[in-house]
Amino acid sequence: MGCEISTRERAGIINPMYDCQPAGAQYAGIGIKDCIPLVHGGQGCTMFVRLLFAQHFKENFDIASTSLHEDSAVFGGHKRIEDGVMVLAQRYPDLRVIPLITTCSTEVIGDDIEGTIHRCNLALKKEFPGRKIHVVPVHTPSFKNSQVGGYSECMLSIIKSLTSAKAAPSGKLNLFPGWVNPGDVVLLKRYLSEMGVDGTVFMDTEDFDSPMLPDKSIHTHGRTTVEDIQGSANAMASIALARYESAAAAQYLKTEFDVPYTLAQTPYGIGNTDAMLQTISQITGKPIPDSLIKERGVALDALQDLAHMFFADKRVALYGHPDLVIGLAQFCLEVELKPVLLLLGDDNSRYKKDPRILEMKKTVDWDMEVFCNADLWELEKRAKDPDTKIDLILGHSKGRYVAIDHNIPMVRVGFPTFDRAGLYRQPTMGYQGAMLLGESIANTLFAHMEFNKDREWLLNTW
Amino acid sequence: MPMVLLQCDKDIPEREKHIYLKVDGEDTRSFLPISNAPTIPGTLSERGCSFCGAKLVIGGVLKDTIQMIHGPIGCAYDTWHTKRYPSDNGHFQMKYVWSTDMKESHIVFGGEKRLEKSMHEAFDEMPHIKRMIVYTTCPTALIGDDIKAVAKKVMEARPDVDVFTCECPGFAGVSQSKGHHVLNIGWVNEKVGTVEPEITSKYTINFIGDYNIQGDSQLLQQYWDRLGIQVIAHFTGNANYDDLRAMHRAQLNVVNCARSAGYIANELKKRYGIPRLDIDSWGFNYMAEGIRKICAFFGIEEKGEALIAEEYAKWKPKLDWYKERLTGTKMAIWTGGPRLWHWTKSVEDDLGVKVVAMSSKFGHQEDFEKVIARGDSGTYYIDDGNELEFFEIIELVKPDVIFTGPRVGELVKKLHIPYVNGHAYHNGPYMGFEGFVNLARDMYNAVHNPLLKLAATDIREPKQTPVKEAAE
Repeated sequence: MGCEISTRERAGIINPMYDCQPAGAQYAGIGIKDCIPLVHGGQGCTMFVRLLFAQHFKENFDIASTSLHEDSAVFGGHKRIEDGVMVLAQRYPDLRVIPLITTCSTEVIGDDIEGTIHRCNLALKKEFPGRKIHVVPVHTPSFKNSQVGGYSECMLSIIKSLTSAKAAPSGKLNLFPGWVNPGDVVLLKRYLSEMGVDGTVFMDTEDFDSPMLPDKSIHTHGRTTVEDIQGSANAMASIALARYESAAAAQYLKTEFDVPYTLAQTPYGIGNTDAMLQTISQITGKPIPDSLIKERGVALDALQDLAHMFFADKRVALYGHPDLVIGLAQFCLEVELKPVLLLLGDDNSRYKKDPRILEMKKTVDWDMEVFCNADLWELEKRAKDPDTKIDLILGHSKGRYVAIDHNIPMVRVGFPTFDRAGLYRQPTMGYQGAMLLGESIANTLFAHMEFNKDREWLLNTW
Repeated sequence: MPMVLLQCDKDIPEREKHIYLKVDGEDTRSFLPISNAPTIPGTLSERGCSFCGAKLVIGGVLKDTIQMIHGPIGCAYDTWHTKRYPSDNGHFQMKYVWSTDMKESHIVFGGEKRLEKSMHEAFDEMPHIKRMIVYTTCPTALIGDDIKAVAKKVMEARPDVDVFTCECPGFAGVSQSKGHHVLNIGWVNEKVGTVEPEITSKYTINFIGDYNIQGDSQLLQQYWDRLGIQVIAHFTGNANYDDLRAMHRAQLNVVNCARSAGYIANELKKRYGIPRLDIDSWGFNYMAEGIRKICAFFGIEEKGEALIAEEYAKWKPKLDWYKERLTGTKMAIWTGGPRLWHWTKSVEDDLGVKVVAMSSKFGHQEDFEKVIARGDSGTYYIDDGNELEFFEIIELVKPDVIFTGPRVGELVKKLHIPYVNGHAYHNGPYMGFEGFVNLARDMYNAVHNPLLKLAATDIREPKQTPVKEAAE
């Protein structure tokens, strides 16, 4: 009995859980308004990531490529960066930020990114006097970290490049949620507003869910402005909600501009949301309002109907982004679901020392496995294994066939969830997110009972 | 002035050479858009890389083969769950992808050992699978890993497996087209002729350049079965690795997608004297013409006519129902290359649809020659079109429906233009007689979607409030 932490021993991966660093960097980049990331690498590094975002959000996002071809592999790709930056500046008059995202190829070739950006800046100044375009170096070789690290690295690079000096204190709160859905961003903004806190969410992806309008205008873009980013240095404090995705940026603001920084609990589940709100309250001096006490109560009320009747002792496998998986495991414990398998998909050595995992290690009284640097083949092997009984899978769409082929109920959560409609719109964070996820789990289990004729009569009177 | 410099391209005037507007009475031989040329950085081109041209388009379709991608994780992740090519063995090829998960130390010290270990592991984990393709990617090509040597070593250690290597890193060539070429030529050099097929019919073909998108190959297979024609190899829809090793034994190569797979047909002709017959599998007229040509080759014309008559009796009334309702519809096609010339005339002849703009990601000169010959006047022919150009072209030609990929589809949705997936289809298959009725149905349902009218309605009218301001 107890929690075992292990790591993949195979060299190769069968069915990866995460994409590579540049993908994460691109996700952070598109959160900025008037911004087009420019990926320095082969065209596939951009085209497929755009497709991935389109699959998840059912939206198009603008990301450019330097279109690295053979000659650049031999002679270097500087010229293609300069051309790419100028073409973007010429053809997109509102453009203000270009995160220049490197890839494996251009890091191996060894292109001098900072030097090239210097030349770009001179050329931009000459051709567009009076217009400031920030070209931000983002080093994300694909052979290091994963999309998780790439998101963090791009966020950090953007903050580093755009903040220069501390101005008058703004009294604002910086909130760094990490890689989350627009639904989570909307929820966090609502919580800040209900608490009367003047805050900025980095990145504000609310408009990734954008309308069809009579005038055909397109509003699919990030909402975080250059001014928001520059203003982060003047904030009263920063709160990071994701240890592996957003802590680095908040830490930088502390080191460089003395902006106090707290790593709060990632607000998945009731307890973690409580902790986040209390942290915000302590920092800002604003009380937690009755509206959120009510929302908390509604969520508890809903989950109470589900926990000990339907959820208790159900064995759950979870995979996806580390802060999500760990946070959802904590949520599972709250509603009497039994997390038995946590899969984390890259070689970050810090997972093993994550205090949240160590805490679970202390408390669980059943066999639980935390598997680091995992692939989805590990999930499939356990799904096939009659000794590892899995009653429920919580994870993203890339693992869909494990559920389908082994007849295991699965609730899609995280990124990407392209095989279910509209999930990007729903919060998973906060009380509301916990309630929606709990109900989604329940309904999935119910449908499974019905289609498998497994005590489906239980629901005759529920 | 048939070459067109769009407004959005005023700062990149070289784009003028890539966009052609066909005009009545002009000698189209004088105007051929430049194609298969390097992309201008920063233009938001639609192109992918040559690695994906090899892995995602061709190799990854094989239903019994491990796809070992030697590189960092992204190249595997990104070419998985991005295609709709099922198979009759439970879709093995869509469920799995393999990567050597290259990390920095392997970049520094070389990744051959890691590749070797990953290959053995993959065979150990799935002992029923005995075939593998290994692909290089940008970084493993740059550091010079010798994947052929590793493959040889693994085959020596495991006599029952066969491994093919494909060296086309993402930066090779200008688009995915280079990857098609590398895989085709490599395969014919190394693998064709290494397996002898069991011949079960007097009439044998290879069907080349069809990837079983939503069951295309399986639909066409019904025709070949009814005609008594044995397909030795489908290149590569619903195919086994070893089928493709026996391609040298077919009497005829029937080519559908000449861009991705014409190369192998040409080589088979050169080396084994197998004639090449190009057909179009989309559209009633074309499909019937293709069947007639194939049957004429084998002297079984009557069988062919019987099949065509049966299929027409079954499907033509359904097609005509849609034709009546689609005639005059303006369509744009923004796909890879050959579908432009496959579709432009077939939708016109069979459905009365007019194609008003076409953009190709990776077509070559011969694709543009074909499409301009088959296409209409007043239509734009674009090589490597980019996002701003699409917006401008839409304003110029006002299409009713666009056949393109899902991402561009999401973009044009905001402009109240429906899209149909021109790569992976909406609800296919689209090949053959039945398939073209599916295409017509999907186009009809797209064009007549009631939501489009609702989207265009401003409920505040006649009180005019600028919507843009309200939305900001």
